[in-house]
Amino acid sequence: MSCCVTPPAWQGWLWSGALIFAAVNFGLGVAAFLSWVERKQSALLQDRIGANRAEIFGFRALGLFHIFSDAIKMLTKEDFAPPAGLRPWHSLAPIVSMGCAALCLAALPFGDSVEFLGRSWSLTPLPLEYGVVFVLALLSIGVHGVVMAGRSSGSNYGLLGGLRGAAQMISYEVAMLAILAAPLYIYGTLDLSEIARWQARTWHGIPMWGIFLQPLAFILFMTAGAAETKRAPFDLPEGEAEIVGYFVEYSGMKFGMFLTTDFIESIVLAGMATTLFLGGWHVPGLSALGLPSLVAALLGVGAFILKVMTVLWVLMQVRWTLPRFRFDQLLDLGWKNILPLALANLLVTVWAAALLS
Amino acid sequence: MAKLVKFNLDGREIEAPEGQLVIEAAKDVGIEVPHYCYHPGLGNPGVCRLCVCEVEGAPKPQMSCRTAVREGMKVRTDSPVARRAQAASLEFHLANHPLDCPVCDQAGECHLQDYYQGYGLYKSSVREDKRHKQKRKDIGRAVMLDQERCIQCTRCVRFTDEVSKTHELGVFGRGDRSVLDVYPGMRLDNPYSGNVVDICPVGALTDKDFRFSVRAWYLDKTPSLCTGCARVCSIEVHTNTRRPWHTDGRRVARYKPRYNTEVNRWWICDEGRYSYKSADSPTRLKASSTLGADGHAVQVAPADAAARLGSELGRHISERGADGFAFILSGTLSCEDLFAAKQLISRLGVPASNIVLAPAPEQLGEQDDILRRAEKVPNLYGATALGFDVSRSLDRLKAPLWGAWVVDREAPAAFKGLPFTVWQGPNAVRFTSEARWVLAASHTVEEKATYANFQGRLQRANRAVESLGESQPDWAWFGAVLRAMGGDFPHQCAGSVFKAMSAAEPAFHGLSFDLPAEGAPLVAAEEAVR
Amino acid sequence: MNPVLDKHRVKTVVRPEMRFQEQVYLIEVWKGLLITSRHFFVNLWRHCMKALGQDAAAASVTTQYPEDPQVTAHRSRTRHRLLKREDGTPRCVACMLCETVCPAKCIYIKAEESPDVMIEKRAKTFKIDLGMCVFCGYCVEACPEDAIRMDTQYIQFPGSTRADLIWDMPELMGDRPKIPSLTPSKDPLSRP
Repeated sequence: MSCCVTPPAWQGWLWSGALIFAAVNFGLGVAAFLSWVERKQSALLQDRIGANRAEIFGFRALGLFHIFSDAIKMLTKEDFAPPAGLRPWHSLAPIVSMGCAALCLAALPFGDSVEFLGRSWSLTPLPLEYGVVFVLALLSIGVHGVVMAGRSSGSNYGLLGGLRGAAQMISYEVAMLAILAAPLYIYGTLDLSEIARWQARTWHGIPMWGIFLQPLAFILFMTAGAAETKRAPFDLPEGEAEIVGYFVEYSGMKFGMFLTTDFIESIVLAGMATTLFLGGWHVPGLSALGLPSLVAALLGVGAFILKVMTVLWVLMQVRWTLPRFRFDQLLDLGWKNILPLALANLLVTVWAAALLS
Repeated sequence: MAKLVKFNLDGREIEAPEGQLVIEAAKDVGIEVPHYCYHPGLGNPGVCRLCVCEVEGAPKPQMSCRTAVREGMKVRTDSPVARRAQAASLEFHLANHPLDCPVCDQAGECHLQDYYQGYGLYKSSVREDKRHKQKRKDIGRAVMLDQERCIQCTRCVRFTDEVSKTHELGVFGRGDRSVLDVYPGMRLDNPYSGNVVDICPVGALTDKDFRFSVRAWYLDKTPSLCTGCARVCSIEVHTNTRRPWHTDGRRVARYKPRYNTEVNRWWICDEGRYSYKSADSPTRLKASSTLGADGHAVQVAPADAAARLGSELGRHISERGADGFAFILSGTLSCEDLFAAKQLISRLGVPASNIVLAPAPEQLGEQDDILRRAEKVPNLYGATALGFDVSRSLDRLKAPLWGAWVVDREAPAAFKGLPFTVWQGPNAVRFTSEARWVLAASHTVEEKATYANFQGRLQRANRAVESLGESQPDWAWFGAVLRAMGGDFPHQCAGSVFKAMSAAEPAFHGLSFDLPAEGAPLVAAEEAVR
Repeated sequence: MNPVLDKHRVKTVVRPEMRFQEQVYLIEVWKGLLITSRHFFVNLWRHCMKALGQDAAAASVTTQYPEDPQVTAHRSRTRHRLLKREDGTPRCVACMLCETVCPAKCIYIKAEESPDVMIEKRAKTFKIDLGMCVFCGYCVEACPEDAIRMDTQYIQFPGSTRADLIWDMPELMGDRPKIPSLTPSKDPLSRP
């Protein structure tokens, strides 16, 4: 933990609360922005133009106003619940889904601690000693939203989609833990801020980021993460084009919440990848400049967000490049390929660490 | 039976009765020789020269409709010589035939089209303009003439000379100026005039009633029966359900005669031909109804109607006795209908004196020695065979009546005030609105049914279209009411009724519902002869 | 069974064996990502150049439809029209051949006697349900009178009801403009 004096309890609560509020709003804002990115990025790589018709007083702003038109559309659309469904659960499902995803954002270390008023203020909204476990746990709870949505829709398609979702997310949780075991063994902590700080070390001038220490774990983590967050090419629980999924019976803003959940989960995944493998807020060579703590911390926050955005771009690129897996292929990949590889990686890591020490 | 001779036709050894025409012998073994003027029901003048074939030993091709078979002769209908002669004949037929096919009603069932496809020269050597003659000439009540299209085969002329014997038609002029026409001052208004349309191999004679309504290829054809008189001619019902707007939603487009050696041969009368309109007439009942408390008709579902009618009838009979109930059965009822009615009547205990088969004898129609019978009841013979008294006098009804069941006919005025009346039939009549119960029945074209004509020949009609709306066959109504009153009537289709009937009724013993195309004589007829 | 025929009829497709680098999948994923990324950056560059007023190759194949109407090819099959004779009467003789050949069953003709004895037959009503039409052009092929063509270059016929998509004879001949209704009919599924 930080060596400096921590603020008193009530100030710490206030600070933490403000940061959580900021983090969740940051997530929602980026999620909305991602809906535009998704459209435009797919259009660019498919030689199209992308959505560009929404306009305000003749200004089209590269289609950015579609975010608002989407929001207005979803808010004003009929909120339909199937008569055969279970009404309260039907409404609860998107809240659970989105709530879990949004709360994950609070555990991400956006920056290093800032020193002012003679005290050290952590830029992690929820500075937890077990941050990794917290995020993984919340992502796991998210599966309840999916199953709830499928079951309460009163539709066989929805139910099957929910079951696919549950099977997929539980399978990849196991793989995810096995993957993260190796880097976490090296870092020796579960605190996300500490992990980020650990990676600021250098070896002959090269920053010791997770991606250099654990390249295999990084690739596996991105794959398993995409599967866990149901992003293409692992979007089998949704599959709106043909197999339809757990939110087939949703409309209006409830559907919008599931959509937003998807984007927020992507942000969480990108944030985790940044923290665990890309050095978090660390910018190589920045500490050598000897900038004031506040400036350095703000630059660190900027670096963190930039890294998150880059990872999101890669996720989008993968999503629009690869076709969807078949369900048996998905489970094969998780259980027969990723899990053994992750365990082998853990063994090699532990063995190598033992040899080096 | 004439002596059988052996001869060779297209390389096949064939046996045929001596003196039979080559064209007929060929048709019997499935070889079709193209022909226009030849018609088995008319004389064979040999005017079209299309049916030429090569006969070994003869110097020139011979007409197969004028050549009788001889022992040992060798005939080829498909040799190059025969084919060339046929194609050359066809070229002459087409020389002045207008290419009217798009607007011609015959297109699709035209012999000229068919033969041109099969035997024609695809490149005509005729360079001259076609000769124009009168189009759209109104020559009679039912027939429209197009002189241009006529190929002078004279089938229609021979029909009016030999069959109807009315002699209205003739071919006038010579060479390519010859035209078919009616004799001056005459019109083709004989009661069989519609047949000339059927026998015309091209579109020269068209049916005014059918003209321009449906193209021939849209029609579905169902073998059936005409129930206009006691002759019960075999017919084909042509239905148009693929393009309903052509006939303004009418499903039955026309009746055509169906060949039956024993009954009507190739012909039907005009009265029967145009009787198809009743199947889709506005008077058709689509649903059953009963009079409500306020005196207005209330629609009732078929199953409901039978159950309620049965319980009402049962109550009336137990209160007033069956002697006061009468059945006025129609002559259009089939054997199955009458069999079901018979079972209902015996269940109710209605005395035989209260059963009347309509219409009354004074309503006889015209009769001639071609087809038409004065007796308009088609199934009188069947009714007799089933044991019904067919004296048909309404006077025999014993007063006082409290109720009556009238089938498909107008009821006597005295029935109006009766407390319980049932009217059943396909087309509404005046009495329909007065009856307490109205049961919608299927039309003849909508049910499988057997009829025995005045000769005692039992024939079967088939279902050409589905029953309109909620109407159902008469036997089904009788059976449903019978069931509602506790009787036993397990039949769900006409075939099942027929099976029960052939087991129960001696006249129908040994007959199957799958009757041959020309029908079969009832057993009673043979007994009567004996 | 004819062994000779069957030999020619049955075609065995040999599926290519997956090589190791394909089985690993990651390499193929990488290759795919390279392709899409190349498109992404090239197109992004072209868009930027265009925005800066530079001359650059087209970055997209999209046509901005209402502002930039698509020009149809001369031979493309577009909305039908019915042709007239020199005296202004319709050429159609109601032979029903187009109605017969139509695979979508979207042509509805009713025939009547023509006052001109040489024409004999004409269409009383001639309707085309453009909502059902598949624009195959068989009706044009089948017509013996050259009475129907699909060369109007007219491809927009929106309507708020199904009845709006049914064009009647005067509309197909150009004698009357087709005016779509503004209120939906009570029975939107109605057919003529």
